[in-house]
Amino acid sequence: MNEELDSQLSAMFDNELPTAECELLARRLSRDEQLQARWGRYAIVGAVIRAERGVRLNAQVARRVSVVLRSEPALAGPAATGVTRVRNGMRWWQPLAGAAVAAGVAAVSILWLRTEAPSGTPSTVRLTPAVLQGGAQMHVRNGGAQSDSYVVPRPPTQPRPALVPSTELANYVVAHSMFSTPVARRNLLSAFMTSEPAASGTEEPQNNAQSTAQ
Amino acid sequence: MPRALRSSGRLLSLALACAVSGVALAEERAPQSSPPAPPQAHGPSTEHTPAEWLERMNTALNTRNYDGTFSHWQGGQVEMLRIIHRLQDGVVSERLASLDGSGREFIRTGSSLSCYLPDKRTVLVEQRPTDQSLVGFPTVNPQTANFYDIREAGHTRLNHRDTHVITVSPKDEFRYGYRLWIDDSTAMPLKSQLSDAHGHVIEQIVFASLTLSSRLADALFKPEVSTAGFQWLRNDAAPQLLPGATATAWNAMRLPPGFRMTVRSAQMLPGSAGPVDHIVFTDGFASVSVFVEPQPDSGGAVITQFATVGSSSAFSTVANGQKITAVGEVPPATVEYIASQVRAAQGASPVGARGR
Repeated sequence: MNEELDSQLSAMFDNELPTAECELLARRLSRDEQLQARWGRYAIVGAVIRAERGVRLNAQVARRVSVVLRSEPALAGPAATGVTRVRNGMRWWQPLAGAAVAAGVAAVSILWLRTEAPSGTPSTVRLTPAVLQGGAQMHVRNGGAQSDSYVVPRPPTQPRPALVPSTELANYVVAHSMFSTPVARRNLLSAFMTSEPAASGTEEPQNNAQSTAQ
Repeated sequence: MPRALRSSGRLLSLALACAVSGVALAEERAPQSSPPAPPQAHGPSTEHTPAEWLERMNTALNTRNYDGTFSHWQGGQVEMLRIIHRLQDGVVSERLASLDGSGREFIRTGSSLSCYLPDKRTVLVEQRPTDQSLVGFPTVNPQTANFYDIREAGHTRLNHRDTHVITVSPKDEFRYGYRLWIDDSTAMPLKSQLSDAHGHVIEQIVFASLTLSSRLADALFKPEVSTAGFQWLRNDAAPQLLPGATATAWNAMRLPPGFRMTVRSAQMLPGSAGPVDHIVFTDGFASVSVFVEPQPDSGGAVITQFATVGSSSAFSTVANGQKITAVGEVPPATVEYIASQVRAAQGASPVGARGR
């Protein structure tokens, strides 16, 4: 990656890049995997440095961060596997305005860190280089600069039934969604959209839900 | 500090700056064909009560034209989704699609609801009644305050936007609570958390980008998934009742505090053999649908099933030849309780009669 592009990306992170250049670079971000990977690594480093609230890194992620930090002066080389989860999503962003594309890419990188739901009581841990290098499990929260509290999501205390909607349940969900508040409808349909796809050949609720006979 | 490290500390700034630019642009251009006008909230927060903020948010979500990507967290999983919403010439168009994995899409165009399920190679198409008076959207009313503690938790900056943080805390365990970060200028919720009765967050949505536009092209509401070889399940036909025929009117003998019936209808569901009775109960914030349909092959046994879709719950029971299913954005115990209370009401009413 050439120096000019690197400088542009850096300026973009600083929000110092002129709007026109920002949009151009954002468009390039949407199709340049190497650039996306770099963006993703910046995101992780940034999130950790900011001790972003709600960010919890497991050992694997921490090791990645550690590697990124060690290689930071060069910031070169192949992308860290799994840092960005763009996958099919990129095809959505391409028609969007450049700025929105950039925002989307950035957010995916940051939010990917949140896929690890923390367990136990939230605690505040100050990041230190030693922690980062050690690769131990970390639980990162903001020092409390903002007034609003933040309840760290916990994983379910009990195993949930499989979240595979059957066609029948899908019917109910869609029909019900029209009578929910906008926020509740968005939650419901989002959960439906992201629930795990059914295994091939499975269809009926018995495969998807807890079933009992009385 | 190396520039890259210093720079990365401003990553969120960029993301939000981009989002801000989109919102700012939309604010400069009033929607050209989207009556009624969405709420404007440029004044100080003291001008609106927390309940009013909720109503403004609902109005914004229903009437604004927007295109956004957001993360959905639930059960330890984070997925990115895109939502596009448009109100044009009185017709609502909405598209919600998973950007990761499943490829599922939900598209609403006016009264037509289509759900694309690539994993099942199926498309569900529901046709809603066009009479808007039949739609009983939950609304926050003075009674709602009896069951929720609605407060403003303060102001904060989120994605470089000024937001009001509104909390809706349930007073019992029949319902969930919400924490909403509502944008000052547009009344759009930039972040929302849903929590259980103990205050534990169980679902979260955060917008990564949000663009409010005066116009959104029709092409944005086309499915991306290829439907070649898919089976289509439709309910295009409205339920019909033979002359003189009547159907059972269903109601709940008892309900959790604050819930009341707002809608009763009969509708065809994709793939269903006949009309399904649909009753909706709401407390002004949460709602529960109950579906009743004949199940002649139950053999007299009482069969119950439970499922979840995100934080929403579904409970189904088959008894006396009827299958009763309750679905709602409430705890499992609530749908189970409501479903167990549904009985055939005294008297009969024509299929399709709707009460409010």
